[in-house]
Amino acid sequence: MKSGKPGPEHSIHRPAAPESPDEVTKSGGINLSRRKLISRIGLGATLLAIGGQAYAFVRSLVPNVLYEDPQRFKVGTLDQFAEGPKFIEDKRVFILREKNTFHCISASCTHLGCTVKMQRLNQPKKVNAGGREIEEQLEFACPCHGSKYYGDGTNYSGPAPRPLDHYKLEVAPEDGQLIVDTSQTVAQDFRLTV
Amino acid sequence: MVTKRSAWARLTDGRAAWEKIKWSWLPDTNREAGDSVVKNFLLHWFPAKVTRQSLSWNYSFWLGTISAVLFLILVLTGIPLMFLYVPSVERAYLSVKDIEFTVSYGWFLRGLHRISAHLMVAVVFLHMVRVFLTGAFKNGTAANQNRPLNWIIGIVLLLLTLLLSFTGYLLPWDQLAYWAITVGTNIASAAPGVGEAMRFFLLGGTTIEQNTLIRFYVLHCFFLPLLVTLLFSYHMWRVRKDGGLACVDQLSLEQKKQGVEPIKSKTYSLLGITSGTTVHVETSLVDDEKYTVMSSPNLTRRLVVVTLGTLVVASILTVLFRAPLEAAANPAVTPNPAKAPWYFLWLQELVTTTTFTVGGFTVNGALIGGIILPGVLVLAAIIWPYLDRSPLSSIGVWWAKDRRRQNIVFLVIVAAILLLTIIGTFLRGPYWNWYWPWQSWPDMPRKF
Repeated sequence: MKSGKPGPEHSIHRPAAPESPDEVTKSGGINLSRRKLISRIGLGATLLAIGGQAYAFVRSLVPNVLYEDPQRFKVGTLDQFAEGPKFIEDKRVFILREKNTFHCISASCTHLGCTVKMQRLNQPKKVNAGGREIEEQLEFACPCHGSKYYGDGTNYSGPAPRPLDHYKLEVAPEDGQLIVDTSQTVAQDFRLTV
Repeated sequence: MVTKRSAWARLTDGRAAWEKIKWSWLPDTNREAGDSVVKNFLLHWFPAKVTRQSLSWNYSFWLGTISAVLFLILVLTGIPLMFLYVPSVERAYLSVKDIEFTVSYGWFLRGLHRISAHLMVAVVFLHMVRVFLTGAFKNGTAANQNRPLNWIIGIVLLLLTLLLSFTGYLLPWDQLAYWAITVGTNIASAAPGVGEAMRFFLLGGTTIEQNTLIRFYVLHCFFLPLLVTLLFSYHMWRVRKDGGLACVDQLSLEQKKQGVEPIKSKTYSLLGITSGTTVHVETSLVDDEKYTVMSSPNLTRRLVVVTLGTLVVASILTVLFRAPLEAAANPAVTPNPAKAPWYFLWLQELVTTTTFTVGGFTVNGALIGGIILPGVLVLAAIIWPYLDRSPLSSIGVWWAKDRRRQNIVFLVIVAAILLLTIIGTFLRGPYWNWYWPWQSWPDMPRKF
């Protein structure tokens, strides 16, 4: 095997680059040599191209169209709701009827989004929810981290930082079905009277 | 003189072929042992000689090697699983069920993959604990050492290991998967400012659906393993560059004390590209017979033992503990209690207990316990080597006197994490209430 001592004959010879210091002109502009100008344009173009590709790569992963369930949906005609709460399973909302008023509470815990469970109380309980005296028939509790909510959705124990969301309710004029709009949160005392 | 033979004759001469394979594993002379490391591709990352102390079982416990072996098992079992698994929300759960119940040995492949992942999380963590307690992230006297950097690479590898587990357990699309990802990505969205955008990008939308599944699948099977492979390679290269395990530094310090003239370890040319005298590694090489042995077969033999041992333990655990598969994912019903895998339970415990209110302003525990506290821990770990001012005598030594205080601080943090993990695993029941092991859980209706 030929293996000479590493010496100058093995090194790569580069012609010395001609001395071409940038000259600062009197007006303050920079006078680049042609070689430097072209190499900088080349470098800039390369970086721009790589940057553009990287942007395209990342941007393609941000969807422009979502094929998700609509946020405004029908949950059935009014007579399908008996007095009290009803859990709409695939939409993760509770519809609560009190005689001729309706309201809708989200089942998504405000801590980290698990589905809260409804607990019916054996007897009505008077509680102070955020400064208001209410009489409640049920409470909500989250299985993931143990947050607890009063019947009106006010959080009172556990890590939940705020009350459960309340969503806007409407009645569809065409077929009289109840419409939930989860894109619109409303105040806790919102009631749809029919 | 070597007689010329046809290529076919050489190939079919069984004995010569065997000789060609085995000589590097079973060298007859020291020269062969040295040559084997240079000429065998697989052994090329080892030095020709290695100190007895680096080989000892109870200095390093071989935890880094075990992690690497587990990663190898995960890659090898992952390949058939990739052929069998279908990353679509309609079929993911059913394909995992198929792997578990109808594919030949599917249960074993999936079980071994899962057990190895659990073991890898544990072993990588223990490896970090070992490195910290022995002060192995400290630079010695040799030139070009950068052990703090390797410590940081190690932390990144630990985080990647956790991310690999996290992305892996979404894939079965069962209840555990669905709710873990719900909680995990909601923690990400608690980050101020960028949180919501980050969650949208992670999920590929606003709800956990097909986009999310395919994202986690690609991360799990391609991006994260690729990153681990690259960083692991660099990690190993740095170990060589830093003069081997940190315990070797004590030997060279001892040599210096005895006035042994340091040997320049290497002078070599880079394939003749550079000219003149070349890069030399200024470590004072520990080359004394009383400290060192040939890597082949002493290191290779132990490597084989560790590899086989890891495989055996993982296989036995696989047979003893079958991988569970919960009910198919159901966004309407959160299991009660919904527990993350054991290595994330300390975080679950933290996000549960760190929500607090100042005046009328409430800060979500997701931000404190899910982002800020873990972030502070990781940052502290990263800068720690740069704050450690203990003397050279505490490098690569277990329970060094000069590092006692920081070892205690570190162990307290480790103990706190373990304590929270134990609480989360054994003492939490429905609605995350506290139950002692001797208390039975109340019957919980499936829905309400």
